[in-house]
Amino acid sequence: MQVTLVGFGVVGRALAGQLRDQHALLERLTGGAVVLAGVCDTRGCAVAPRGLDIDALLAHKATGQSVGSFSSSTGGEGAIARGFDAGFGPAQFVAAQGRLAGDAGPRVVVESGPSDLKHPAPAVENLLAAMRSGLHAVSVNKAPLAVAMAALLEAAAHNRVQLRYSGTVGAGTPVLALARQAALGDRVLGVRAIINGTTNFILHRMASQDEAFDAALAEAVRLGYAEADPSNDIDGVDTAMKLVILANHLHDLRDGGHRPSYADARVQGIRGLSLALIREARARGKTIKLLGSIDVDGGLKVEPTEVDAGGPMDTPRNVNAVCLSLERCGEVTLVGRGAGGPETATAIVRDLVDIARVHRGG
Amino acid sequence: MRIVMKFGGTSVADAERIRHVAALVVSATAEHNVVPVVSAMDQVTEMLLDLADAAASGNSMQAEALLKAVRDKHLAAAYALGAQQAVTALLERLEGLVRGVLALEELTPRARDAIVAFGERLSCAMLAHVLGARAMDGREAGIVTDDHFGEADPLMDLSMYQVGQSLGPLLDAGERVVVTGFVAANQHGVTSTLGRGGSDYTATILGAALRADEIWIYSDVDGLMTADPRSVPDARLLARLSFAEAVEMGKFGAKSMHPRALEPAAAHGVPVRMRSTFKPEHPGTLISDKQAEGGAGAEGGRVSIVRCVPMLKNLAMVNIGGAAMIGRPGSASEVFAALAGQRVNVHMICQSVSEAGISLVVGGGQLDRAKGALEKTLRGVGSPRTIEVVPNVCVVAAVGSGMRGTRGVAARIFTSLARAGVNVIAIAQGSSEMSISIVVEASAGPLAVRAIHDEFSLGS
Repeated sequence: MQVTLVGFGVVGRALAGQLRDQHALLERLTGGAVVLAGVCDTRGCAVAPRGLDIDALLAHKATGQSVGSFSSSTGGEGAIARGFDAGFGPAQFVAAQGRLAGDAGPRVVVESGPSDLKHPAPAVENLLAAMRSGLHAVSVNKAPLAVAMAALLEAAAHNRVQLRYSGTVGAGTPVLALARQAALGDRVLGVRAIINGTTNFILHRMASQDEAFDAALAEAVRLGYAEADPSNDIDGVDTAMKLVILANHLHDLRDGGHRPSYADARVQGIRGLSLALIREARARGKTIKLLGSIDVDGGLKVEPTEVDAGGPMDTPRNVNAVCLSLERCGEVTLVGRGAGGPETATAIVRDLVDIARVHRGG
Repeated sequence: MRIVMKFGGTSVADAERIRHVAALVVSATAEHNVVPVVSAMDQVTEMLLDLADAAASGNSMQAEALLKAVRDKHLAAAYALGAQQAVTALLERLEGLVRGVLALEELTPRARDAIVAFGERLSCAMLAHVLGARAMDGREAGIVTDDHFGEADPLMDLSMYQVGQSLGPLLDAGERVVVTGFVAANQHGVTSTLGRGGSDYTATILGAALRADEIWIYSDVDGLMTADPRSVPDARLLARLSFAEAVEMGKFGAKSMHPRALEPAAAHGVPVRMRSTFKPEHPGTLISDKQAEGGAGAEGGRVSIVRCVPMLKNLAMVNIGGAAMIGRPGSASEVFAALAGQRVNVHMICQSVSEAGISLVVGGGQLDRAKGALEKTLRGVGSPRTIEVVPNVCVVAAVGSGMRGTRGVAARIFTSLARAGVNVIAIAQGSSEMSISIVVEASAGPLAVRAIHDEFSLGS
């Protein structure tokens, strides 16, 4: 299996490390050697059909340089590298990977760029370029799926390749697969989900420590739960992107309608949420969570919502929970730890193993 | 409002009409956000298809003559509009393609699409020049199809996304564009064409993707009528129709839209207005989700169950009979496989519970092919069967969503036909209950249409 990695940030580097460390295990699970055949960052790319030297690559990247200047002498057999320019960027790099020499195993492009909802088009184009070129695709980037999931799934079907995205929701906990498995054979009436660790940490801290929003946010930043600019999390954008992906993943188990995209979601975050509201809820045996919900008509909504204190949705810190309302089986709640670089890389490996299995016809 | 306006071939038939269309667009632009979609000039698509075939068969004299005709037609319009520059470059590219086909004496469906697409590219370039707008082909607009050149199917979700990406920002920025109808491209950017539904299909795809408020389909008629005014002098214009009714009507005549082209509009709930280029003040026929005001079938205060009575002419009927067919699984499959093998389009099918015979309605021009195919296949298997043809028939239909669940509609239809002395040859009604199709002799067609039209008081 040839893996091509688009984006070489925290997740991409964790994946490269995991491919190196689990080499033997992956060969057993996928039925062939899994090599990192190409990688690109924002400035350039490096390619080796038989696999890049991952140790050398990580060391090179650690010096702050682009993979586009990775030395061909140490990069691995037949390695070449080049910088990007106006005529050759990530999408052209991905398309070229479809013409790479190499083994007969499946070829996969992993889109691991940052989930930038303001500029999702380049990541959509990377995934489309991969599938057009006959490559399977894995995305842990939420933005392209949030804006163009129907289009991407159609492109996958048209080109007879697989599109996987299990790392986008829940990361370490395979929320999407579990939710689908739980709902198969039943009918999904509605979904309520806590799928953003940062906001849940803040809300849990506000409720348990009786701390104001700003103080709880500062603590989340200090502990590394929140990024320096936490807008995507606290304004509900991240939850909404994940909710759109979840709704699409369960689309055929709900009642028809269009596949939703981000524009269909009503989004309200928790920025500046008053501690008084949480105290008042607590007095009534409730607590406030940032819930993403899918209602019976398929309407998508993200907003701070009261849930029962001590109930299954009252999860601590950054623990995710997805509660499915099913017609026959009633409420089913899945609870598990959310994301981080290593967890997301593991989710990618899960997708790679699945792709290899389906590719072999297993 | 955001409005997609599609102009058919007769609307851009010469320089004067292109100017007229441009004026329509400009006046609408004062009020609305407009996306014009344009067909090839009248007759040009046929000329280009002939040109491609002539080149493929190595007939250079005919190819040159057709090429000259295409060039003259467009240059004449372009000179009048001052758009020579835009047109000359395109004509040169077309000539290059034709020379290639002539040299190879080979024409793939893909090459045919590349040639045919020039009809829309040329008319689009001229209209864009007059409007000072950017000319875009279907590929640039974002319409992506599969690889079935000549009759390509859009990858609909992908097209919706790509159109939003390419045209959305331009329109939001107030930029003027003109888009070619009919022309699209596969995912690798190779030119393809949409086949059935053509430019109308382009318009509805753009309308759905851009969340337009309405799609206006301009042609040389005022809108859809209760019946063909040549058969029924008091036929009226239909002010409103539902998508379901419009789909039922789609089969009948060139004036209605191909059902395929209605799909994107119906799926995204974008109303389609059919109107005349030559009477721009006339509101035309509005096809939408909403029932006509005042309940099903209300038209100017009157409620009608049957909304219109279209007729399909130049048809023939084939009756296949024989006791051997009764109760034998696979009989129908053999019949239709034989016809499909000869690419015969079957318009209507009747079989009674006795299974003693199947009756089919096919196009008059396909009758010989249909008969030949059936004789070859069915007589060959040794079971005695009869194949009988009725050459000159037509199909008259009563269409209206108010027919569903209303009792006595069929009784009224057939009583009216009996009163008029029309002999009914065959009948078909689908489970949608929105139309009843009746086969009658060709000569009795207009009489049958008038009888039903009068029975349901559809006239003015």
